[in-house]
Amino acid sequence: MTELAQHSTDYSVVEAEPPEIMGRNLRVGAHLWASATVFFFFAFLFAYFYLRSVNQQGLWHPHGVKAPVALGTLIAASVAASALLTLFAARRLRAGDQGAWRAAGLGAFALGLLAVCLQVVQWWTIGFGPTDGGYASVFWGWTALFLLFLVCTLYWLETLLATSFRYRGQGASGHAPGEASGDPDRTGDDIARPISLIGPGVDAFAFYWSVLAGIGVVTWFILYIL
Amino acid sequence: MKLRRLIGFNLLTAVILGVVGFYVGWWLGHLFDAASIDYFEDTGQNDIALFIAYFTGVVGFLVGLGFANYPVQRMLGKPSSLREKETRGAGRYFGLCTDHKVVGIQYLIGIGAFIFIGGLNAMLIRFELLTPTQHGWNANNYLTLVGLHGTMMMGMMTSGIIGPFANYLLPVMIGARRMAFPRIEALTFWLLMAAGVVLMTTIAFGGFPTGWTGYAPLNDQANMGMDAYIAFFALVGLSMSLLGLNMIATVITMRAPGLSWGRLPIFVWGVVSTSVLMLLAAPVLISVLLMVMLDRTAQTGFFNQAAGGSPYLYENLFWVFGHPEVYVLALPGMGILLEILPVFSRKPLWGYKLAVTGMLGIALLSFLVWQHHLFVSGINADLRPFYMLSTELISLPTGFIFVAALGTLWAGRIRLTVPMLFSLAWLFNFLVGGLSGVFLSDVPSDVTTHGSFFSMAHFHYTIMGGLLFAFFAGIYFWVPKMTGFQLNERWGKVHFWIMFVSFNSTFGPLLVIGFLGMPRRAVTYAGYLQGANTWVSVSAFVLGASMLIFLANFVYSLVFARVPAGSNPWASKSIEWQLPSPIPVHNFDRIPTFGDDPYPYGTDAGVAHRPAVAPARPTA
Repeated sequence: MTELAQHSTDYSVVEAEPPEIMGRNLRVGAHLWASATVFFFFAFLFAYFYLRSVNQQGLWHPHGVKAPVALGTLIAASVAASALLTLFAARRLRAGDQGAWRAAGLGAFALGLLAVCLQVVQWWTIGFGPTDGGYASVFWGWTALFLLFLVCTLYWLETLLATSFRYRGQGASGHAPGEASGDPDRTGDDIARPISLIGPGVDAFAFYWSVLAGIGVVTWFILYIL
Repeated sequence: MKLRRLIGFNLLTAVILGVVGFYVGWWLGHLFDAASIDYFEDTGQNDIALFIAYFTGVVGFLVGLGFANYPVQRMLGKPSSLREKETRGAGRYFGLCTDHKVVGIQYLIGIGAFIFIGGLNAMLIRFELLTPTQHGWNANNYLTLVGLHGTMMMGMMTSGIIGPFANYLLPVMIGARRMAFPRIEALTFWLLMAAGVVLMTTIAFGGFPTGWTGYAPLNDQANMGMDAYIAFFALVGLSMSLLGLNMIATVITMRAPGLSWGRLPIFVWGVVSTSVLMLLAAPVLISVLLMVMLDRTAQTGFFNQAAGGSPYLYENLFWVFGHPEVYVLALPGMGILLEILPVFSRKPLWGYKLAVTGMLGIALLSFLVWQHHLFVSGINADLRPFYMLSTELISLPTGFIFVAALGTLWAGRIRLTVPMLFSLAWLFNFLVGGLSGVFLSDVPSDVTTHGSFFSMAHFHYTIMGGLLFAFFAGIYFWVPKMTGFQLNERWGKVHFWIMFVSFNSTFGPLLVIGFLGMPRRAVTYAGYLQGANTWVSVSAFVLGASMLIFLANFVYSLVFARVPAGSNPWASKSIEWQLPSPIPVHNFDRIPTFGDDPYPYGTDAGVAHRPAVAPARPTA
């Protein structure tokens, strides 16, 4: 019965697994989380068309409630450009070009931040509030939560860039045991090559960021154009 | 060292930071100038402060457990490590631990505690219904009790089986050493515990009158106790999504060599189909709850008719989540049932592919039936036939499960152990629940039974009769593996028979009471129904007492008697039973390889998996 396992075996076998497994998990996780995100925003899409169709007491879109198209277009374009840049960065990284990935990654991060700032500016200058009817409710709710997703996803990109910069120029080894986890008590090597995790991480991020950018474009079309 | 542990990241620190965080948030929320926001002046309540307080409280709680360490490290560019995992000692059960087996046991105890609280609420409800007039609680308190019971049960039991059993067993069943995302796994548990506490604070803010469905416009008009409901379900939704994601990712990426999709244990299929629902349905719940929050704080008008919104929007979106949620509760029970039946019938699982098809079919169809909850809400009459048929269609894949179960039992050498008794009871209860559901899916009969005790009894037959009986089947079956000690069989049977009889004695008559016209969520009722209601209440009290028998057996067997279970007390051929009890922290010395049939009972074949020749520890 114990040919499969014994209590006396050291549990460090769990940690010392190859980074490919973590990479695979990340990629699959990103795809799954993207599907959950789509369902999250589906509720707002549903709300938009539902409230628009019932137009309760003529309050769907009262006179004077108009979202600024130019600013909305800029926001969507920034997110889309950021996603395209990330896809490019992922491709460069797969080709082994660490420098190009870092430069493109920084660019994508800046564009993402720009979208966040523009959204805040838009709220600041917009001529209607969340209480101004059905459209205004959907607009404020949808854009606020989209912004939240943008910020959280940008955090993910920041972690990838930070790791990439921290271990730039490092080969298969070169850091002390425990350095990666910050645990001085460790005697073993927790992550053999921290930089090896960047590739799958960037792939996963690029996919998720592209899906989010897609949602951003749909958001733009629904809220500003339709 | 002890002092360091005490003031480090653990449950004690988490509770302290949680409370501090709550009050900091409360204070911050009140910094908003009340005079500048009309809403405060209108109602004299500050939902913004309470939502901020819940947020900062939960964040403080998680920081205290150590969940902030990893994201901060990642921000500084340091990659992941599973150092949070402790190898020894009871301390690992009271904090952030990335060992899936520890998380499974945390779930078992944590969810068990909240189910107990939810059950106590049910006892209080039945106490009130002993007489047709008010005698215990006023109408508001009664509604809060009903809401607390329903919300606690529905929220907590979404992870009632997946939480303890899938977390503990799924990696083992697929030959892995851990889940795909161990920190997320731990996070899902602690989010759920925080959610449970948040829900209970509703009492301090006046309770909530909406029941577990939280319908508009009542959810907008209710006092601050409603905020606890919203925060609770949003946290549960987040926990559900992450749990589902983790389960699916684990099955996709972490399967051992040779374990193809067609060889997965049937319980794993139950978990996968449930996880798909959790992953996709729960985000809709979070969205709709955030809309309610915005309606109550920023004064948006999603569900407010006077502001351009519609309460029906809430009903639609809630049930887009709500009906898959019902199957989130039912599907894991089916997985447990089909996992246990072959062991105690000494036969291979009959119709493996049929059962898998049934589970996936239920998962798919559950997204297409939500409007049957709106049959009497004034929906377009042309929509009714489609949703009636799609609802009735779901009986087809459910029938597959029954066929697979009966085919497995047929001509088997049946052993009536406690897990087997609970499994057989599942079949009976779920059948009654399913058949009574036909009346609710049919428009003509639904319009007379909707909102009555009939629909409540139907619901309890499917959920309590299905999920809770499967939950106990799982406990009696797998706790020996989890703890290394056998639960007392005789007291287990006493528990089973009292629970089974009193359960049916409680909810069977409620089907009739519902047909006789008694509406649910009403504190008073017609005098001629008193006899039946008294019978139901007494039966419910016996049902509640049966839980105490279980609790006594559980504590007695694991703390005092401590009879070693051995590695395979049920002579099962599943892989988890080929490991020592309890399972070692690393699961496998060597990742196993899998053969063909996962249920080779009644054949000459031994177990279908072997340790691989690969070394236990990858070389650095």
